[in-house]
Amino acid sequence: MSTIQIVLVALFVYLGSIGSVVGNTIGWYALGRPLVASFVVGVITGDLQDAMVVGIPLQIMYMGSVTPGGAVAWDLSYATYIGTAGAIMFGKGAGASELIGYAVLFAGIGGFVGQLMWNLSYALNLPLNRLAKKYADAGDTKHMYVPNVVGGQIIGFACRFIPAVIVLSALNLGSAQADFANMIPGWLTQFLSVFGGMMAALGMGIILSFLVKKGWHYAVFLAGFILVTYFNLSTMAVAVIATIVGVVFYAAETKEA
Amino acid sequence: MAEKKISPKTLKKSFLNWFFWNGCSQQAESMLGMAFGQSMAPVIDELYDTKEEKAAALNRHITLFNTESQVGSICNGITCALEESLANGQCTPEVIESVKVALIGPTSAIGDSLWVATIIPILLTICLSIAEANPSTAWIGAVIYLIAYPIGTCILSWNLFRLGYRSGLEGLQNLMASGKLDKLTDALTLVGLIVTGALTASFVSASLPIQITKEVADYTGAEVVYNTVVLFNADNMLNSIFPKILPLGLTLLVYYLYSKKKWSPMKLMGLIAVLAAILTAIGKVSGVY
Repeated sequence: MSTIQIVLVALFVYLGSIGSVVGNTIGWYALGRPLVASFVVGVITGDLQDAMVVGIPLQIMYMGSVTPGGAVAWDLSYATYIGTAGAIMFGKGAGASELIGYAVLFAGIGGFVGQLMWNLSYALNLPLNRLAKKYADAGDTKHMYVPNVVGGQIIGFACRFIPAVIVLSALNLGSAQADFANMIPGWLTQFLSVFGGMMAALGMGIILSFLVKKGWHYAVFLAGFILVTYFNLSTMAVAVIATIVGVVFYAAETKEA
Repeated sequence: MAEKKISPKTLKKSFLNWFFWNGCSQQAESMLGMAFGQSMAPVIDELYDTKEEKAAALNRHITLFNTESQVGSICNGITCALEESLANGQCTPEVIESVKVALIGPTSAIGDSLWVATIIPILLTICLSIAEANPSTAWIGAVIYLIAYPIGTCILSWNLFRLGYRSGLEGLQNLMASGKLDKLTDALTLVGLIVTGALTASFVSASLPIQITKEVADYTGAEVVYNTVVLFNADNMLNSIFPKILPLGLTLLVYYLYSKKKWSPMKLMGLIAVLAAILTAIGKVSGVY
């Protein structure tokens, strides 16, 4: 990856993190989602197809990581931008399951760094309260953005962008070592590919815990499952059927009332 | 003295301050307090004249405040309406403070459970199924999400803000009591469940790599050829009972441990890593991999 590409990816790591300057709706909840993040990395590196190959499984794996704000368990933005970029750097010419294995590995590293940085910025933001109090006491309504946006974003940017540049540069240097990919033993690649496939169960299991509220909901979940296994439908076809079911259900429910 | 009223332009400004910068300075002391103060600043500037009044009002809003900020914009709307009544002498600062504290719980709950934990995953699963349909056009799913989610959320957030301003606390109560929200959630839950089932079948992989093979000599040709014949394959056997039974079982196991046994995602990740290591080792030993 060129320096410009590294800087651009790091910039998006920051934009997709919690409380970036574009707001959580556009940042954390849109740019920070693995599906979108891999698309962005794909556009930046020019390898859109490989990026999406890892983006889809990463999104499924991390589907359960939706908890907002203070309860962040895993820095999704860091995990997926670094994971996708790492997979593209190291996995040149590799097959899909190898790419996914690399992405899972690097996303783990990225998520860990991101988690440290989140805790750091959370602590560094504390003194801003004093600054806000000063402006509030002066009744200065015109400068309330200074502690919140200016202060918060200098800290936020420093905690996201700079470490991301360092991590990405290190990965870039590592991948430039000619036969690094060959140094990884076969059993490890095999393990990563098995692990990647099984990790999808994590996202799906956590999502189920949000969705299942009544006993018969298991049957509805199973219906979606067998439409693929017994009827060989694509997930898109199942999504269309699901939407129809939803519309009919809503119409029937509201008519009764 | 003429009755004070917040202009539509100021309301919009207050909303935009919140929409873009609600999470900018999040920390453990006041959570989103500073952002809330910034959101109220234009309103305060318009409603109050003296420096003392402005200072008192600003100090009211930089204290602890937290919510799921997208659905929580209704709190900002309600607070705008309350500040307006206060400026007209029909409300007290104590009421504003206690209403704000009271709003934290229900708006966080609705926001987190309905918007963050239901709408986002459902929209993502739909976009994933678009992405999965064809590898060369997979990016379309990402683009649709990137456009649809922020626009949809912005419209919702702005309307909740206006609802809060127009009808105050009553608006929130009516919204929760009408029952329409519940039915919509129920219908969306069904969509989510079916699509999650399909995604589980398509994406989760788990297999038991055990097989027994035998070399069988083939004498039919001119030369004797030794073919490897699979006598028993654990995975094929399991799948003939119920296709993809292992991925399904693994997903339900994760669900059980997460929701009933309260395992953390990190712990679950560790369990999956251990299982994957064991299965890889079994595969190596039995010669499948």
